[in-house]
Amino acid sequence: MSGPPTALAADLAELLQLVPVQRAGIALLLAAVGLPVVGVVIVGLDIMPVRFAMMHVALLGIAVGLLTGLDPMLCALVACALGGAGVAPLARTPDGLSGAMGLLMSLAIAAALLLLAVSGVNAAGAFALLWGSILAVGTADLVVVAVLAVLVPALFWWRRRDLALLLYDRELALSSGVAVERLTLLLLVLVAVAVAGAIKLTGALLVDALTLLPALAARRLGTSLTSITLWAVGIGITVNVTGFLIALSLDWPPGPVLVLTAGAVVLAVHLVPERRTTSWRAPAAASLPSSH
Amino acid sequence: MERNQGADRPDGPGPLGIRMRGVACRHGRVDAVRAVDLDVEPGSRVALTGTNGSGKTTLLRAVLGLHRGAGGEIRVGGRSARTPAEWAWRRRACAWIPQKPATGRFPLGGGELLDSSGAPAQAREAAAALGVGDLADRALHTLSGGQLQRMYLARAVGCVAAGAGVLLADEPTAALDFAGQEEAADVLLGLPATLVVVTHDRTLAERCDRVLEMAAGSLRERV
Repeated sequence: MSGPPTALAADLAELLQLVPVQRAGIALLLAAVGLPVVGVVIVGLDIMPVRFAMMHVALLGIAVGLLTGLDPMLCALVACALGGAGVAPLARTPDGLSGAMGLLMSLAIAAALLLLAVSGVNAAGAFALLWGSILAVGTADLVVVAVLAVLVPALFWWRRRDLALLLYDRELALSSGVAVERLTLLLLVLVAVAVAGAIKLTGALLVDALTLLPALAARRLGTSLTSITLWAVGIGITVNVTGFLIALSLDWPPGPVLVLTAGAVVLAVHLVPERRTTSWRAPAAASLPSSH
Repeated sequence: MERNQGADRPDGPGPLGIRMRGVACRHGRVDAVRAVDLDVEPGSRVALTGTNGSGKTTLLRAVLGLHRGAGGEIRVGGRSARTPAEWAWRRRACAWIPQKPATGRFPLGGGELLDSSGAPAQAREAAAALGVGDLADRALHTLSGGQLQRMYLARAVGCVAAGAGVLLADEPTAALDFAGQEEAADVLLGLPATLVVVTHDRTLAERCDRVLEMAAGSLRERV
């Protein structure tokens, strides 16, 4: 840290008066409500490469947009939604989805590059459309994160019982009457669109800090889907506020600082010894069926 | 879960019959089950025995539509299953105790498992009777194999209470101690449902009405 604390606080207060900084702060807070829930689903479905897959699918969408004259970002979101829906049938086998994400990534980048080459569009220019920055968040972007912040937790709460069964074991969910295929499809489309939208809002790197990392830390701390999700949102908010303030006060780029802060939390959580590892023997002995 | 208790439940509580004709299942290029014909009377208790890898588990999973690429015809309560709605009915009609209860990629609470039966109160009552009532607050991955098996048994009791007419139990006593095996057998055999139980437990098999033996994917009656 540089300078005396009072000067630092004054600097920070001054920075927080700036409109882009305020918008970025609000966007991060809103994102911390919706995106960690998406991250819990990503970890639960074991589709961690989804961010890479969606980057490439979005590029394909942008290429289609540039070629047809439609809004490239809209095409990107539609392409991601279709990509998410397209891999849903592969969820039937336990590792079908994680493999499918790799396949989707390769196919999408190949199709995008081919399309860009054939149409003569500059690939770097297309990629640039995909990159957002948290300090350049516009009003429309804020509305999108706000909608996600309401929609995602609401959907989660509405379907939390089915979701808990599905993320635990697909076959148990099937035999419990959960509409597994429909729910998987809905989740994959939601994850795809949320991740693609978040890339546009915050940049690709920051998406991990907002989705995956809080969920990874929370998975270690919670014992049920609901508690894991609450932990994830709590960690998301804490990390975003802390990381953003650190980045502002040191005048560092927010993206890497936020990712490093979230990463530090994940590491710290994994270094803490796990609770209740030895406790099952005691209640087991007490609850053994007596003669009755 | 609310949908399990709606008007769409199996035709009232009561045991259902099972009929299989020419059922065949493949795991890749391996024939796991070949040309199985079987009639199980409503309310009867059938033990399915046989060496490891003889196709018992695959046959049970085929009834639930969990084994893809199963051929032949399976009817439960006189109904076949082709459309998603028919499969949904089938899975409500058939309670299931899986052989290897998944330890899960994600934590699930014991209470959530019991509630998924469709009759939370009865499932929790059964869990209490089986000595695992106080484990409802615990995550399933923190339970021992025997405790988990008792929880799944309690869930099956709930499924039957919610209207299932068949119980497909896949080695439901394998992880239990001797006292536990007897107790579990009492629960299984006392349910108002048709029972098909895969087991290597001789005592349980002897208490069933019929004992079938599977060998290399084929089924034969043991007399």
